[in-house]
Amino acid sequence: MSEPVGIHVEGVHFGYPGRPVLRGVDLTVRPGELAALIGLNGCGKSTLLRLAAGLLRPDEGRVLLGGDDLARLSRRAAARRVALLHQSSPAVPGMTVRHLVRQGRYAARGPLGMLREDGDGDPVVARALRDVGVERWAGREVDALSGGERQRVRLAMALAQDTRVLLLDEPTTYLDLHHQLDVLRTVVRLRAERGLSVVMVVHDLAHAARFAERVVALRAGRVVADGTPKEVVTPGLLADVLRVAGRVGEDPEGGWPVCYPDHPLPPLEYENHIH
Amino acid sequence: MTRRFAVLAALAVVCAGVGLVAGRGMSPVVAWEVLGGGGDPTERHIFFQLRLPRLLVALGAGACLAVAGLVLQSALRNPLAGPEVTGVTPGAVLGAVTATALGLAGWESPGTVVLAAVAGGCAGATLLWLLAGRGRGDPARTAVHGVLVSAVLGGGTAMVLLVEPGELGSVVQWLVGTTEGRVWQHWQLLWPWALAWGAAAWLLAGPLTLLRCGDDTALAAGLAAHRARALALLCAVALTAGAVAAVGALGFVGLLVPHLAVAVFGADLRVSLPGAALTGAVVVAGADAAAQLASRLLAEGLDAGRLTLPVGALTACLGAALLLVVVRRTPGHTF
Repeated sequence: MSEPVGIHVEGVHFGYPGRPVLRGVDLTVRPGELAALIGLNGCGKSTLLRLAAGLLRPDEGRVLLGGDDLARLSRRAAARRVALLHQSSPAVPGMTVRHLVRQGRYAARGPLGMLREDGDGDPVVARALRDVGVERWAGREVDALSGGERQRVRLAMALAQDTRVLLLDEPTTYLDLHHQLDVLRTVVRLRAERGLSVVMVVHDLAHAARFAERVVALRAGRVVADGTPKEVVTPGLLADVLRVAGRVGEDPEGGWPVCYPDHPLPPLEYENHIH
Repeated sequence: MTRRFAVLAALAVVCAGVGLVAGRGMSPVVAWEVLGGGGDPTERHIFFQLRLPRLLVALGAGACLAVAGLVLQSALRNPLAGPEVTGVTPGAVLGAVTATALGLAGWESPGTVVLAAVAGGCAGATLLWLLAGRGRGDPARTAVHGVLVSAVLGGGTAMVLLVEPGELGSVVQWLVGTTEGRVWQHWQLLWPWALAWGAAAWLLAGPLTLLRCGDDTALAAGLAAHRARALALLCAVALTAGAVAAVGALGFVGLLVPHLAVAVFGADLRVSLPGAALTGAVVVAGADAAAQLASRLLAEGLDAGRLTLPVGALTACLGAALLLVVVRRTPGHTF
């Protein structure tokens, strides 16, 4: 196993004409760390992940992966170092699970390498299928799977890139609680086994506090809080970053912070009464 | 998978056989004799100088159009993309018709027609490229612009025909798509072109498969999606222009055969690109055989000796029916 690789985001600015998205973000994810990225919709979380994956180029600043400047790498070379799981997945008609996961090997094998079929399949594909526990239905069509199963397959595709850095954009958003935990536990386990550095965007503070060692809060394109779950998940953060009033307790067994968001009820005249 | 290829290859042989014996001017029995080495010089000429090249051109053009369609649909992630709606086919038609009207090419000099059609096809695709502008990464917008470009180019063709109606008779056949009167010269122009660009398309199978997964996924997996798409479109344009130059604007083959091919051979383009080529060859050769049989029966029934049914008319009718099936089978899908 090779050494874990860290991510350094240095003074990154990014925006579209007339709409700045990130206004000077500095973020260091240490090798082998699992960091959660939180913030309101539109605060720049997904953009930051795309920049960290090299899918976007920063207007200012730079992104380093284990010392390499992402802007100097080709798309393929970047995809050999960092994998990104998008939050939504379009339909892939006719594709089987194994076929889709195999597409994750493109960066390593190249356009001509993808044409070659190895005798008993690509070992990395087989491992990725095992990692997320989908090898039993590798022959099924992806579009026929449930949302939770499909997300696991997508995760396997990202794992097939065999990178040291894994970026997850809301990996649990469309899933029920059971499948949310399923995906997160897989990520936590693989990180422990392989020393992956993981950054994931999550909306559920319970997941961030429970699974991440580090929570980074973004507001309007800037990092406003960065630290351990205990340091960051506070009533002040709830009000300031997520704009909800709430209390924060402590899990009686694990000791991690637990939020009790408590939106004040609106005044009576705004409610929909039946007279 | 090997069995599916074998079945289709057998179908191709059947279609080819029917196509060789079905035409008018020579009874099937005579055709059989010629094949066995008999027949008089005229019959031998009909069989080896007219029917055989015609059949080969039909097979080759069908393969080109089907591969071009599958490449387009994968690259644009659009099930309703086809050479007909991306400006390529109408551009090639306009090029050929204009060259004929200007007297630069005639139906006796197929080489010039090929060049004019390729130039027109490329011009049509370039027009789409320029018109789509910054939105060319967006499949939906590209498709809309493609329809627009196709309509404009079709209008251009109509204008040329109105100004210069002299060649109208033969041009109309060609507008619908026909294999009538295709000789060895056409085949010799078609096959190297088809082989080269077909091979290029197959080498792009990996990137094309990723493009089918959507740009976000493709980029994250390490594919420079825009460059790959540009290369794929170049292949599709070249293949279409070659086919159109050979047989004219055969409708619906490039749009619908890819759906058949994916249904039969799956979404693995390493397999389904050759599969599409075979399916396209079978469809066009089969349609040509059917058109010849129908012409023969119609000619006998209506007692009209010169009546011929162009193969394009048949593929268009067949295609319209298939299109309905495709549209109904994929409700609410973008792909």
